Amino acid sequence: MKHIDVQPQPVLSFGRTFAIALRGVQYRLFRALVTVAVIAVAMAFLMNILSESLFKRVVAVAVRDEIRVSRQADHWIARLSVPQTAEEVIDDLAAAEPGTPASRELARFSGRDPAAIEQAGKQAAQAREYFRFFDDINYGRRRVLIGNAAGIGIFERLQDPEAQARFFESLGQMRAVRFIATPDGFRAFLASWPALREVVAAVREGQRQGIGQLHAKLDGRTVMAALADAEGAFGEAVRQAGFVLEPEEATSLAKQIRLSEHRHFIEDSLNVPEVRKAVAARKDVLPGDVSLDMIWGLLGHPDTAAWYRDLLAQHTSPPPGLDGDRLHEVARARGRSKLMVRAELITMGTGGGFMNIGPRMTWLAFVSMLVCTVGIANAMLMSVTERFREIATLKCLGALDGFIMTVFLIEAAILGLVGGVAGTLIGLVLGLGRMLAVFQSLLLELFPGGLLLQAAGISMVTGIALAAVAAAYPSLRAARLAPMEAMRIE
Amino acid sequence: MAKKEQAPDSAEKRVIIRTIGMKKLYRKGGQETAALRGVDVEIYTGEFISVMGPSGSGKSTFFNMIGALDSPSEGRVFIDEVDVAQLTAEELAFLRCRKIGYIFQSYNLIKYMTALENVTTPMAFGGVPDDDARKRGMEILGLVGLRERWFHRPIEMSGGQQQRVAIARALANQPAILLCDEPTANLDHHTGQEILDILQKLNKECGVTIICATHDHRMMNVCDRLMWIRDGSIERIARRDEVHVELAGID
Repeated sequence: MKHIDVQPQPVLSFGRTFAIALRGVQYRLFRALVTVAVIAVAMAFLMNILSESLFKRVVAVAVRDEIRVSRQADHWIARLSVPQTAEEVIDDLAAAEPGTPASRELARFSGRDPAAIEQAGKQAAQAREYFRFFDDINYGRRRVLIGNAAGIGIFERLQDPEAQARFFESLGQMRAVRFIATPDGFRAFLASWPALREVVAAVREGQRQGIGQLHAKLDGRTVMAALADAEGAFGEAVRQAGFVLEPEEATSLAKQIRLSEHRHFIEDSLNVPEVRKAVAARKDVLPGDVSLDMIWGLLGHPDTAAWYRDLLAQHTSPPPGLDGDRLHEVARARGRSKLMVRAELITMGTGGGFMNIGPRMTWLAFVSMLVCTVGIANAMLMSVTERFREIATLKCLGALDGFIMTVFLIEAAILGLVGGVAGTLIGLVLGLGRMLAVFQSLLLELFPGGLLLQAAGISMVTGIALAAVAAAYPSLRAARLAPMEAMRIE
Repeated sequence: MAKKEQAPDSAEKRVIIRTIGMKKLYRKGGQETAALRGVDVEIYTGEFISVMGPSGSGKSTFFNMIGALDSPSEGRVFIDEVDVAQLTAEELAFLRCRKIGYIFQSYNLIKYMTALENVTTPMAFGGVPDDDARKRGMEILGLVGLRERWFHRPIEMSGGQQQRVAIARALANQPAILLCDEPTANLDHHTGQEILDILQKLNKECGVTIICATHDHRMMNVCDRLMWIRDGSIERIARRDEVHVELAGID
């Protein structure tokens, strides 16, 4: 026989290695399916919490805006009734960017030029930081530092040189407290406080005058009733009084007020005995058992809404524009706002942690991934042990350690991919179903497709990575096995 | 009978496997057991040698050492003039792939591969292109008489057929040495004989060196030399004609 010089064995191409690994997986399909199931369950869990938190997050964001709009009416009624507190004015000053309507409004109320407002805004921003600092420290320390002063009272109290000296002395003794500014910085702020106080007082005085002017034009209406005319003369009066009311805001404000009026009218209509009796007869219950929910239920359908409209026309004097369609619309808006409130409740406390799923869910997901890793590692270890003879044979035929290792890693990656995809789909369907039940149509409007794809990608990659990590040790063990050692074990 | 073999000390004989003071100790639970206690042996190119010995005699350990599957605790093993202990993992793989063919008592075919794939796998490891490998694999399957069954999986074949596929696989890269560990032990009388015939044919026609551990007395009819191992050392090595004389004497 010919003599061959010994040289290093060539490395088998990845394609061939992959083909051989794939054949192995096919042959052990049942065992592979069990492993896939372990991965799929873990990934379903991950994808489920990821998708649910995504849905919750988009709903929370949308609801925040919509709820803010729906509370616009309350906001304006409060604004047009009493001047703001000094702290509220400081907040507004700090938040007002130069040149914005809010900034113009502050300038007008206080009678200062825009530059002075900008200057006051900077001071107000500082004041806000100090407020936050005093809010955050605990009660005992606060008591020692500033007594029972609160809000701008703190700055007033510290205007007294003696109180100021005591404050800095006590602060120096509190090792655990990190003051947000240098003592000199705070002294400088306190020295400038009277200037800011004057601006704030001027703003409040301006507001007071504006409100007084407006109230003369109410003609006996409540502020709320008057605001229904926000697009018309009353809106103009509001503007003249010094408040900035943008036309778009006036439109939506008037709409809100009208909706609220109509809602109240519908709710009050139940107190009319004839209406109550008619509804009771239609619903076949006692008049005492007629509830508001029944009325809203009736208004949920255009036909019964029209019937109710006729009933109202007979026994009450409905405000103009409250026809059958409008009744139906009011009922829909009310349903929507109920959904909003529910969504706001459910989405409270979301956020933080990995992909905004919250710290608790992050921890749960982490633990479940750990369990899954152990499960896959066990399955892979079984697979390796079961194949000792095969590994030994392949090594006798000239397989390199790297080949053996790659085969097992590929096998794990294939299982990870299949399990990951299956789990992701299951988790997504479950999450979607659960969230649809809670948020209904709201969810479909806001469907976060891109983010969901991202989450799906994350959970699939996690599946593959988990399987590969879990298979690392078993495959290393298989590769390191001396050929005959393996045969002897069996 | 025409003698193929000449005297071991003849100048033309080339040594293909040489062991010098080969020892193997197994350590288990703090106790050392000697599986081999110093084996010096020379095996020549083209030889058919039978290794006999009771179980536990160290026969398998001896096989693993000279097959480069395990390393001795002491002493040295040369395969084709190469000291096995000096080889890297890659070179060992190369050696196992091309110089030695292994045949096992339990066939050890890869279950999820067809007969042909089993035969072509060592070629793939050795870097032979797919088409060449398939062609050569079919030729070798023809050599063991299984050309028509190339697409069968091990589970669809009888024991004898599986062992023939195993032989074909061992021959894939035209090795110089064929190491057989009880190749006929799991087979019935008739099939065992077929395997022996194939081995003998390979030895005679292709000049492959065959080292065969066996309990099968028919092996004596085909081998050149016989080697007895007992308690981890070589009890005796004898040429077949000498043994025949003895057996005749006993009869």
